Parts: sequence; structure tokens; C-alpha cells
Amino acid sequence: MSPSSTLVEVEQLGKTFSLPGGNEYVALKGIDLTIKQGEFVSLIGHSGCGKSTLLNMVAGLDLPTEGVALLDGEKIMRPGPDRMVVFQNYSLMPWMTVRQNIALAVDEVLKDLPKSERNAIVEEHIQLVGLGHAADKPPGQLSGGMKQRVAIARALAIRPKLLLLDEPFGALDALTRGNLQEKLMQICEEHNVTAIMVTHDVDEALLLSDRVVMLTNGPASKIGQIMEVDIPRPRKRLEVVNHPHYYSYRSEIIYFLNQQKRIKQLRARKKSDVSRHGLEKVNLEIGFVPLTACAPIAVAKEKGFFVKHGLDEVSLVRESNWRGIRDGIAGKYLDAAQMPAGMPIWMTIGGGENPPLPVVTSMTMTRNGNAITLAKRFYDQGVHSLTDLKRMLLESTDQRHTFGMVHPSSMHNLLLRYWLASGGINPDKDVQLDTIPPAQMVSNLQSGSIDGYCVGEPWNLRAAIDGIGFTIATDLEIWDGHPGKVLGVREDWAIAYPNTHIALVKALLDACQYCADEANHEEVREILSRREYLACDPAYIHLGPPHATACNLDHPMREYAHHQFFGKGVNRPSRTEHLWMMTQMARWGDTPFPRNWVEILERVCKVNVFSTAARELGLTDIAYSRGAIKLFDGSVFNADDPIAYLNSLEIKHDIYMAEVVLDAPSAKAS
Amino acid sequence: MTAGTLSNRKIASDNAFLKALIRNVVPPIVAVLIFCVIWQLFSTDTFPGPVQVIQDAFSAEDGPPLINPFHVGGAEDYWGTVFNAVVRGTGDTNIGLFWLVMSSLKRVAIGYSFAALIGVALGILVGVNNLLYRALDPIFQFLRVVPPLAWVPISLAALQMNEPAALFVIFITAIWPILINTAVGVKQIPSDYNNVAKVLRLSKQKYFFKVLIPATVPYIFTGLRIGIGLAWLAIIAAEIVMSGVPGIGFFIWDEYQNNYITGIIIALLYIGATGLILDRLVAWIGTKVSPA
Repeated sequence: MSPSSTLVEVEQLGKTFSLPGGNEYVALKGIDLTIKQGEFVSLIGHSGCGKSTLLNMVAGLDLPTEGVALLDGEKIMRPGPDRMVVFQNYSLMPWMTVRQNIALAVDEVLKDLPKSERNAIVEEHIQLVGLGHAADKPPGQLSGGMKQRVAIARALAIRPKLLLLDEPFGALDALTRGNLQEKLMQICEEHNVTAIMVTHDVDEALLLSDRVVMLTNGPASKIGQIMEVDIPRPRKRLEVVNHPHYYSYRSEIIYFLNQQKRIKQLRARKKSDVSRHGLEKVNLEIGFVPLTACAPIAVAKEKGFFVKHGLDEVSLVRESNWRGIRDGIAGKYLDAAQMPAGMPIWMTIGGGENPPLPVVTSMTMTRNGNAITLAKRFYDQGVHSLTDLKRMLLESTDQRHTFGMVHPSSMHNLLLRYWLASGGINPDKDVQLDTIPPAQMVSNLQSGSIDGYCVGEPWNLRAAIDGIGFTIATDLEIWDGHPGKVLGVREDWAIAYPNTHIALVKALLDACQYCADEANHEEVREILSRREYLACDPAYIHLGPPHATACNLDHPMREYAHHQFFGKGVNRPSRTEHLWMMTQMARWGDTPFPRNWVEILERVCKVNVFSTAARELGLTDIAYSRGAIKLFDGSVFNADDPIAYLNSLEIKHDIYMAEVVLDAPSAKAS
Repeated sequence: MTAGTLSNRKIASDNAFLKALIRNVVPPIVAVLIFCVIWQLFSTDTFPGPVQVIQDAFSAEDGPPLINPFHVGGAEDYWGTVFNAVVRGTGDTNIGLFWLVMSSLKRVAIGYSFAALIGVALGILVGVNNLLYRALDPIFQFLRVVPPLAWVPISLAALQMNEPAALFVIFITAIWPILINTAVGVKQIPSDYNNVAKVLRLSKQKYFFKVLIPATVPYIFTGLRIGIGLAWLAIIAAEIVMSGVPGIGFFIWDEYQNNYITGIIIALLYIGATGLILDRLVAWIGTKVSPA
């Protein structure tokens, strides 16, 4: 058998249990999984997600009600020793000694071998798990760790094609668990064992697995995500944590698990729409990420602008990262959200390998407020500009330089890439970009796992004040007045709740106006510093008007970026800007460039909603359309010919064009 | 100083032992004494008190069979009479209580052995087969609660002879707890053990001897222990009804017919002691046989 051939194939597997009383419980649905020879795969998920059921069906202890599980191309119909299971509670026969327990399996399964050979196998495996001294003891006299070692020895002794482990170390203390994990890993590597392990320990899954399969919560659990763990073997328990990707893997799994928990909670309290004041829905869940730029949402809530416009029951949902916002909008448990400017386009085109989901934006809530921070040591090494950075990168090609950004669709990613590229640095080849939640940037910078980042305030200012990093470029150096955060809702939501949508924009426009007034800045800073928002010292939060303090490298402690909340041309969604973002996403290969870009822009930018809201508020002077965009490197972007613009760019990924097929607009949701 | 402390300690530990002794032995003795006093107070001409019982037991007229448990009445052929009474269950009934108890125990041994064999076998069968379990469990539950005495007339009518009828009553009384416990034991085998057996595809025979039996033994012995108690209960009832066989049950009945209460009371002591010993014996075997 070649090392890469498929051993296990699970196709459209489903399991339905009948409950007493005639009801049915769908435990698993539509599971597709292929496992290669020699691969170690973990199944992870919350209790009751059906991961053990899936394992049992591969073991043959339970049969699927739908679909099929194949081992070596043969349908699994019943249990067999070629798929040996290591059970969570060891399942040793208490009336037999360690040796007899292993011999029971070996004598039955390898009965064709002569007795002496079978005895040799038993002894070999007792030694393999280091239990020579306890071979004649019954399991009752062994500790939990030793019992599990016996169970593993018994499983390996019969040379199964596939080893199935059902939370094998769940009942063990941390120290024993660690030792046993290393032992198992070593045995698996030496004997090229193929294994499926059920676990709920994230670190265990990462340490042992080649792939981690994450299951969504039941009922009807399915595979939510499969993550490749690309950490070279042999791995050491204490060393894997130092692998540069370890924590991003870990946070990926934890994010998934937390998300599952949240979905469960939100499903549990799912309320029907409350209509009032001529609005279709006044009970809104609005998502935000704690940043200075969330000021309009926080102010609208705290200063009563939502209520003023009839939205009596708005609750704010704090997400720690933008992915949570995307999933919340896509999963329909958020009504609306603060989004990075590029997210509506990105979601609509289907970025990040997600299916296209039409999202509309009818308002830009903030501009500016972003900056690029580098670690302090670069400043000390004389890296004070983009040119210095490039020179430094050329001088240290042997080192890997990693920069943090918050989401593929955010302006931070686009601006950072643009900035690097304009200095002749290829953001994908010369450096590495990692997605990190905003609030974790500073600690990542401090620990040295990243060299710099582009993020919204207060995290640049904070790094500067704390002496961890310095701001190498602010809004002023990149694109003064760039869109920062926008309001985003699903298109079907916007169609289903048109008046609510307008009311929401009105409330936020009022709030933006409030934030922009310098007289209110102290109060806004105080609101933002509260626990439910940024939970940080107001000293880190600044709302200063643009150009108040320029970036000054001689005083790296003093600079900060400047938010624009309200004013002429600030809030009106701009097709030109969204088109620019569309070109940038295509430039870096994250999304195709849609052939139907005009249609997409029309669907994403809901200028009419903004105009209606502004008119009803009597704000006629802010509806101003910008012309071409002028960036710091002197290039001008105008919306007439985006493809020619893309072609004119020097540093770029292979660009591909594609028709993005969107469903016809309809209010099918909720 | 040191020596003093040591001897103090010894005294202290002696004291502790004494205290434990007093704590555990004195209360039952006191309770027995109080019981005897109350018994004495309630004794009448027809129902002797403890003093009367001791006097009667030692009197020359009735003494030997009561005081000497190994007494044999005729005494021409001591071992022949004993053999007849204990092994064949016939002959002289006027023999010492020990031999009477042995005679009864022989019947118990036979009836109970059958009950154990058939009960365990049937219990395993019913335990592994769900259909059989559903079919037979209601019947077992029904028959289980029929008291031993109720079986006596039926078995006499069916078997026509005293000895087999007595054995049948013991059998039918003792079998239910053994059978039901065994069946439950089989049903309660942890699914982990069964899963291991399934994954290894253990042969039927290996599964039976290496998994099923060891896993069920504790349940079987619980059943056997309840069964032995019931068997002993049943033999007394059976012998009381079936006259003319040497045995402790018949002895009680005989003494009652002769209006000789002292004999009954002493026989009660034997019955109680024997029952206790049987119970403990089965429990002890259980601990020896049961897997760790």
C-alpha cells in the first residue's frame, strides 16, 4: 500500500436515533471524510456533537442510517480487529492480568500464528508501553495511565489497519496525559499507524494530528471545518507550542468551538421580530469589534440615538474579531454589524472560499483611525521609513518577517499590502501576513511572534505609549480619509426590513455627528473605555480631528491616527472606494475580479438608503460624491477602468477574472 | 520517662481494645438478657420460659436428644441409623439434632444444587436472548412471589412421595432469585466488555468463558446467597408438612404434636445457626470465586 493511498472513506454519512415516544434525533448528517494511510486525524467538538458516534460507525459498533463508511473500499458492516478501538474507560477485563488481557486479543486475532510467536508479540507490546513490571497484575491494581497504556498495547498488538481512540486520555491527570500523548505519537510515527482520535482537548488534537476535523453542534452535526496541522514531525509536546503557527491553529479551533457555543446560545434565545413605530423590526442584534472606531455604535446605544429613531430593543454583540462578525451576519444571528470597509464586497464576491453572500452597505461610519506599527527594535535599528524597511528585509532574507492584520477584507490588510508593495516589498513573498484579532496585536508584538501590524486604534497608540512598537505610517501617510468601518447588513435583510434599515442609518448618522463634535470627545472616550466596549484606559483612546498632530518619528510616543466620523463626503458609501477595494482583493488573489463588477457595486452600495436617511435628518449637505482616489504614492484611481488599473500594478498575485453569480435579490431570510 | 510513656501507651492500647470489646459485645449480651427476662415474664404453663427450657433440656427423660446433638435413640447400630437418617432420609426419627440438621441439609443440598444449575443456565439463556427475556420474565416474576408452603400440596399431588416433593419445593423456592439475578447479571455486562469482544470478534466459546461468566459471577453469587436462605426456609416448611422423615422440620412438628415446646425452642436455635452458617458460606465462596 502506498503511503498516500486512501484508507478510510466516509461518504454522506448520517445517523438518526429513534427516541422513546416516536421522536427522532438526527445526530449526524452529511459527513464526508477521507483518511489516508498513515494519517492521524482528530475529531473535535462539543459534548454531544456526535464525534463518538462517528467513531463508532467507523468502528462498526454502530451502523449509519444514511451514507456509507468504507475501509479499503469495503463497506463497514460490523466491528472487526482491523479497526481496533481504544475506549475512553480502557475496557480491560478486570479478572485478567495485563498479560492475559493483551493475550486475549492476540490469541483470537492472530490465531494463525504459532503460540510462541503470539507470546512474543504480547511481550513485545507489554515492553513497548513500558509495563514489564506490571504484566502479571490485574487492572484493578494499576493507575489510570497504566490501564490506558495496556489498552493501547492491546490495540497495537493485533496490528490493526486503523486505530480508533475515543477520548483516550480524557480521564487522566495532566502529567500522565502528556507523557502518554508523546508515547502514542512516537509509536504511531514508528509504526506508521493510521488513527482517528476523538478528543475535546485542543492542544492534544494539535499535538497529535495531521488534520483536525471540527464538528458543529447537534442536532444534525456536520463537519464545520477541517484544519491541516502543518507542524513537522517528530513533534515534541513542549516544542510544538513554539512553532510559529501553533497559536493561530489553536485560536482557529478555539474560535470554532466558541462559535458553536454561541450559536447554540443564540438559537436558544432566538426571538421573533418585534414591530413597532412603523418599523418592521426594532429588536436588533448589532455586532461590533472593540476599537475606537466602534464609537458611533457605542454612542448610539449609550446616548439613546437608537431609541430616538424607534429602535427600542437594540442589543450590541461584542465580537473579538472580524471573523465573528462575518459568521454572525452569514449565520443570520446578527442583524447588522460594524464591518471593515472591504467586508461587504468581500462577502458578496465570496472571499475566503465562502459561498457568495450578498451584503449591502449604506453608510460609512468612520474614516481613518488606522496605522502601521513596527516593533520598537526596528526603530532602534534605524528603520524609520518604508525604504529603510525594504533595506532591512533585503539584509535579513534568512529571517522570516511576519506582520499582523485583522481580516483579509479589512482596510488594514489592503493598506498594509499596498504600502508594502509601493515600497517594492511583495507582501506574500518577502514577508508573511497573519490574521490576528485586533486586541491581540500588542501582545503578539510584545512576544515577538509578529514584527509589526496594521490595525485600528487604540492598538497603535497603545503599543507606542507602552514602548513596544512605534507607528511608522498613519492614515496621513497612506490614504488620508480612507474608509475605515462601514455598516453592513445582508441584502435579504435590507429588503425585508427597509424602514428599519433607514432608521438604523439615521441613528448611526446622529451618533456619528455626536462623535465628531469635539465638545463630546471626553464623554465618548469615557464611554468607549467602559468594560462592555474597549475595557481599557481612556488615555489610549483618542478621537482627535485630522491633522491635529502629525506623525513625528522623533517623538514616537506622540503620534496617533485621526478618526473622521462625520462630515462632507465622510458617511456616504462610495462606489469608487468599494471598487478600489475590489481591485485590491483581486490584486492579492483573495477573490477573483468579478466580470460583473458593475452589478456587484450596484448591489453592495445602497446609496439610496443613505440619501433617504440623510434627507429625513435634514442633512442635505453631506451627500457629496468623491471623485478619483489619490493615494500617497501619487497614483490616482478612477473607477472607469479597474482592469487597466490592475494591469498597471507591478507587484501583484496572478489575477483571475470570474463571473460572480448572485441570486436575484429577495427577502427570503429570517 | 521513655519507659513510662511506652507502658502508658500499652495501657492505652489495651484500654482501646477493651473499649472496643465492650462496645461490640456488651450490647448484644444485654439485649439477649433483656429478651430472656421479657420471655420469662410472659412464660405460662403451656409456653415455657428460658429457665424452664434449660431445666427440661437437662432432665433425664428428654435430655439426650436435646443436649447431645449426636445422640442416636436405638443405638444398636449407631452409624447404620445415622446413615439411614442422613443419606437415605428414612428410619428412626429419634436422633440428635445435629443428625437431624444434616438430614435436612442433604435435602437442601440436592434441591439447591438443581436450583443453582438450572437457575444459572436458564438465567444466562434468558439474559443473552432478549426475546426469551421478554417472554419469560413476567412468568418468573409471578412465580417468584409464590410462597414455599403454597408449593407443598401441588408437589405432593404431582409427585405422590414425600422425599421428591420436599426436594421439589426447595428447588422451586430457591431457583427464582438465582435465575433472575443471573439474567440481570448477563444483561448488565458493561457494554465496554461486549464492544471489546465484538471488535476482537471473539468466538462464542471464548466470549462465554472469558467475558460473560467472569462478568456475571458477582450477580450469580448474590442470587445463590438469597437462594440458599430461601432453600433453608423451604425445607423447614416442607418437612413440617411431610410427616415421618427424619429432619429438623419434622422434628419441630413432632415436638409440637407431643406438646413439647422446649424441643421446638432448641431446634429453633439450630435452624437459625445453620441458616446463618449457610449464608456466610455461600458469601465466602462468592468472594473466593468472584474476579477482583
